[in-house]
Amino acid sequence: MRVKFKLNGDPVEVNLRSGDRLLVDVLREDLELTGTKHGCGIGACGTCTVIMDGYPIASCMQLAALCEGAEIRTVEGLAGAASLHPVQQAFVDKSALQCGICIPGHVMAACALIERSPDPSDEEIRASLDSVYCRCTGYARIEQAYREAIAAVRKARNS
Amino acid sequence: MGFAFSVFSVLSVADTDPMNPRDPKLSAAGLLVVGKDVPRTDAIPKVTGAAQYVADLRLPRMLHAAVLRSPHPHARIVSIDTRAAEAMPGVKAVVTGADTARRKWGAFRPDLYPLAIEKVRYVGDEVAAVAAVDPETARAAVDKIVVEYQVLPAALSLDQALAPGAPLVHEDAPGNVAHHFNFERGDVDAGFKASDVVVEGTWESARQWHTALETIGCVAQWTNGRVTMWCNTQTAYLARGRYATALGLPESRVRVIQTEVGGGFGGKSGDDNASVICAILARKSGRPVRLIHTREEEFIASHPRMPMRYWVRLGFSREGLVRAKEIKMWADNGAYTGKSQAILGAATVRHDALYKYPVVRADSTLVYTNLVPTGAFRGFGNPSADWAVEQAWDLAAEKLGIDVLDLLRMNAVEPGGVSPHNHKITSCELKQCIDKAAGLIRWREKRRERKPGRGLGMGCSIHVNGRRSFGDWDGSSAIVRVNEDGRATIITGEGEIGQGNLTVLRQIAAEELGFPYEDVDITRPDTDVQPHALGALASRLTYIAGNAVKRAAAAAATQLLEAAARQFGRPASELAIIHGQIGPRRGSETEFKPVAQVVRADIYQRDGQPIVGVGAFDNPSDFPDHSRYGNESGAYNFVAQAAEVDVDRSTGQVSLLEIASVVDCGTVIHPAAAEGQVQGAVTQGIGLAMYEYFDWYNGVPTDPQLKDYPIPGAAMMPKLHVAFADSYEPSGPYGAKGLGEIGLDAVPAAIANAIADAVGVRIHELPITAEKIHRALHPGLYAAEKPVPPAAPKGGFWSRFSTGRPSGARPAPAELVFATSVEEAVSLLAAGDTALVAGGMSHALRRERTGYAQAKRLVSIQRIPELNEFTMDARGTLRAGAAVRQQAFYENERVKKSWRAIDDAMEAVGHTRIRRMLTVGGSVGPLIGGFDLPLAALALNARVTVAGPKGRRTTTLEQLFQARLSKDEMVVAIEVDPLPPRSGSSFYKYMPRGLEIPVVNTAARVTLNADGTCAAARVAVGAVSWKPILLDLRELGGKRLGEDMLRATVQNVRTLAEPMADVRGSVAYKREMAVEFAYRALDTAWRRAARPGNA
Repeated sequence: MRVKFKLNGDPVEVNLRSGDRLLVDVLREDLELTGTKHGCGIGACGTCTVIMDGYPIASCMQLAALCEGAEIRTVEGLAGAASLHPVQQAFVDKSALQCGICIPGHVMAACALIERSPDPSDEEIRASLDSVYCRCTGYARIEQAYREAIAAVRKARNS
Repeated sequence: MGFAFSVFSVLSVADTDPMNPRDPKLSAAGLLVVGKDVPRTDAIPKVTGAAQYVADLRLPRMLHAAVLRSPHPHARIVSIDTRAAEAMPGVKAVVTGADTARRKWGAFRPDLYPLAIEKVRYVGDEVAAVAAVDPETARAAVDKIVVEYQVLPAALSLDQALAPGAPLVHEDAPGNVAHHFNFERGDVDAGFKASDVVVEGTWESARQWHTALETIGCVAQWTNGRVTMWCNTQTAYLARGRYATALGLPESRVRVIQTEVGGGFGGKSGDDNASVICAILARKSGRPVRLIHTREEEFIASHPRMPMRYWVRLGFSREGLVRAKEIKMWADNGAYTGKSQAILGAATVRHDALYKYPVVRADSTLVYTNLVPTGAFRGFGNPSADWAVEQAWDLAAEKLGIDVLDLLRMNAVEPGGVSPHNHKITSCELKQCIDKAAGLIRWREKRRERKPGRGLGMGCSIHVNGRRSFGDWDGSSAIVRVNEDGRATIITGEGEIGQGNLTVLRQIAAEELGFPYEDVDITRPDTDVQPHALGALASRLTYIAGNAVKRAAAAAATQLLEAAARQFGRPASELAIIHGQIGPRRGSETEFKPVAQVVRADIYQRDGQPIVGVGAFDNPSDFPDHSRYGNESGAYNFVAQAAEVDVDRSTGQVSLLEIASVVDCGTVIHPAAAEGQVQGAVTQGIGLAMYEYFDWYNGVPTDPQLKDYPIPGAAMMPKLHVAFADSYEPSGPYGAKGLGEIGLDAVPAAIANAIADAVGVRIHELPITAEKIHRALHPGLYAAEKPVPPAAPKGGFWSRFSTGRPSGARPAPAELVFATSVEEAVSLLAAGDTALVAGGMSHALRRERTGYAQAKRLVSIQRIPELNEFTMDARGTLRAGAAVRQQAFYENERVKKSWRAIDDAMEAVGHTRIRRMLTVGGSVGPLIGGFDLPLAALALNARVTVAGPKGRRTTTLEQLFQARLSKDEMVVAIEVDPLPPRSGSSFYKYMPRGLEIPVVNTAARVTLNADGTCAAARVAVGAVSWKPILLDLRELGGKRLGEDMLRATVQNVRTLAEPMADVRGSVAYKREMAVEFAYRALDTAWRRAARPGNA
């Protein structure tokens, strides 16, 4: 069966071998976008978080066949040719990463939050932060990156 | 060859570098790069998704691997039939032990075959493997391999393995003893005789999985009899040596290239079979093969932290000076040894260099069991030793009547100290660490002004910087090449695993060369390219690789200055390199030339020579003897950690409030990376202490998935304080020492000590669970408890594994159909073998993946318009279709105001990603009381519309829970009426570990009469029975409610509950929590009812 959706702004069409193929596998294997990582396969760790129609989703729990017509964004769709997305820049500036395997998930969760709620409360930040595991950092620097990204987006909006 | 000789002559120049005197750069000009938060080398690739991890690699014609593992903890292999698997289209190779070199391998005690020969020794032991054109085919083929086993009695615990006549895990290890050693240094009996206060106890530590979010993996390819293995290994060279042994090849026929490593923590240091099997499959198939552990394989067959039973006795003078120490220790090796022999040694001796022990005695045994092999995990043996000994020190403080802070300070090791094992302490700021940690957590103030349920605890630890383990070399070597464009390249086999060493090594080289940081590049490990290195283990890279790189950079700088001397026509000693420019030391800026110009001129001339500096460094340490006597490391790092907790007496739940960690790692080279190392290590220590454990059955976790094994998430984190002691290590690069591991070591003990301080409960066995504390606080509640025999888990992993369908692959592709109406969906369901899915993946499908029945056809209900309706009618009744996502409830203001129980439940779901995934149909349809939305709805008297072949029916959710749905029925919508005036509702989810199914969840609804008396009250209790317990509390009617009355009315929940013992708690504990949270839900609903606008 075939499925068509918008991926990082561009239309894509994929021929699925089976109706139970998962979005994470289709992104990584069929579309060669390996920035989205496979973590636990049960929607628990958030490493595979992508944005679908404006919301963060676990791409390991998303049947690809059900993405027909959806708008999907992955970490590869964030940076421009010359500059990083403000969320990515904040993770770089705050050294908010170690092994990096969860970072695409954290970056996408942060983007989804800031786009839906440009001035998120502390609770919203914590809930978003809590939605993606990180085994390396203890989250403190990732939280700082969230706050820097929020400030940068606010500044860009106001100027 | 002439080039190689010149390299070695340079090496000897570097060797004459004075290593010990305080580096003059520190005091004089100051450091330009070291100590600065320069941008991390790996940051941009990691935030853009460009970093290449092993699972991201794809070679032309690459095959995918799957592994067949033993379902038995101990069995003889009678036969293996691979014919059906080989015959499957798309299968290109099937391998068993017969395809291997039949060589045992292992870091210290070779006892592991790449694929089992004759016997399997744990559930997960590798028996056969398949390479096929896609992962699904490989998994399906694994399920077709038929293995006949003769099941043998197994040793599933330390006690079973040590019992007389126990089954032998390995025939060559009588008594299941894999390793044993003992020592007595000084007269320990006399030490205890001279002691005024003696404390002793036994503590048990726990298996902990590294749970790197990237699992272990490899891509292997053979060319001309050589194999190239792209591995996510921490230790490329050590992996090469071991894999060569396992494959029966000389080292140079194996090339290991390190990919990006998505978390290591010791778990990717080359002790597991994955890469070896991948190489064997690639050889047999003649094609490149990729093998990536599933998360489940990572849990059943990677090498977790080794649990230990640790008896310790300490003697003290009345004043608090330590007089003697004795330990006896047994460690659960699991089925194969890996590095556990060295871990045993570390757990035995290392702590003896932390305090001024005059005499020590130890007896340590490594015991084989038929359980998952254990191995290196951040902290090595230290966390298990500290878990015991740092609690014994806390007990001693209590007994001596001295604040533990003062006791530890009084006995802390000092610079120049020598341990009973000849560990020579050089730099040491342990007392400063204790003082700073106490200051950060405000120890003295808080101990003066005590609050009920609150407590403080402290623990300290010591760690090595490298450890002489693999032959008499604990060194590193590096090349620094200066290119004709003026940039330098560090060529080192010491890789990045996230800890920041690419950045730190670049800083060291830049500082030494006098280059800007940005002008120094670094290569990634490839054993064909770089000089010898041991890799990321034993907190060795900053200290050992840092010194090697510093020497290589110094050698390159010397060559550069000599080249410049020829070009400037003045002696090298008069020249300097400053910020990438070379010129006369005292010259003006205009006299300086760019390095590029000097290098270019030096190479591009007759007999020109590249600028290539080589450096090597070997740890100035001793190779310890069999009894572990010998100075393991040239320097030691230290930590003091203080924790503050708040304990809820009615549940036993511990809230971690703050943890302060102060580390002595000498000079801090990259403050952000260093702080991150400590924060991350503390977090893993918290996981080890409180959250990370499985429920076991027959030698294997009952559900080896992340949902049963939660690692700390952001919401579990206390306030973390991290600081560094002002310290300088003379033998370290710019005064630096390592710090990768030490931040974890004392965390569990500090937390346990804080709990003892808070509520007087001393925990002796990891993990620290709420249940253990509750039991200790309320023994009376458990007095009548009857033992519950362990039962085989139903369904899931266990059934898949034990019924010859281990991979759980779908035998045929699934068909997916979009239904356009409820009637169509129902007729598709009636045909059988069908599962409904809504927005993401249904509950049924998710269960399939862990081993429940698989449907051939998937029917999406996403495009059925009425199932997407989310409406509120004029009466205020909410109707939500089966395809509506829970996020819709969360975002609706009316829901927030009208049904607080639903709003609480939506909060309890946790976050947007999950609420966006869960649909009404998916959460109500399975009729599981432990789910959030249905339980809240039950308390609110919700109705459900169900469709089936006979049409539609609307029933109460309560009746539906009684009658269940039949297989051909589906949920259409749920309806909730508005509550009458003076009503309140609430929902609680007691989930102290953040698992998806709670210990118990409860929901309540209370309506009051105008006079404030109770009109109606209802409470629902989920997760403690097959069906939720639902109580309409008629006895409260007309009564004026109060806390005691509400508490009394829910007491019968204790007997109504029929919980199962599992990873969330025992039967008895679950009953107690069911009562407690039924009360809390009712109490909250009542209080809300009493205040208008809080329905």
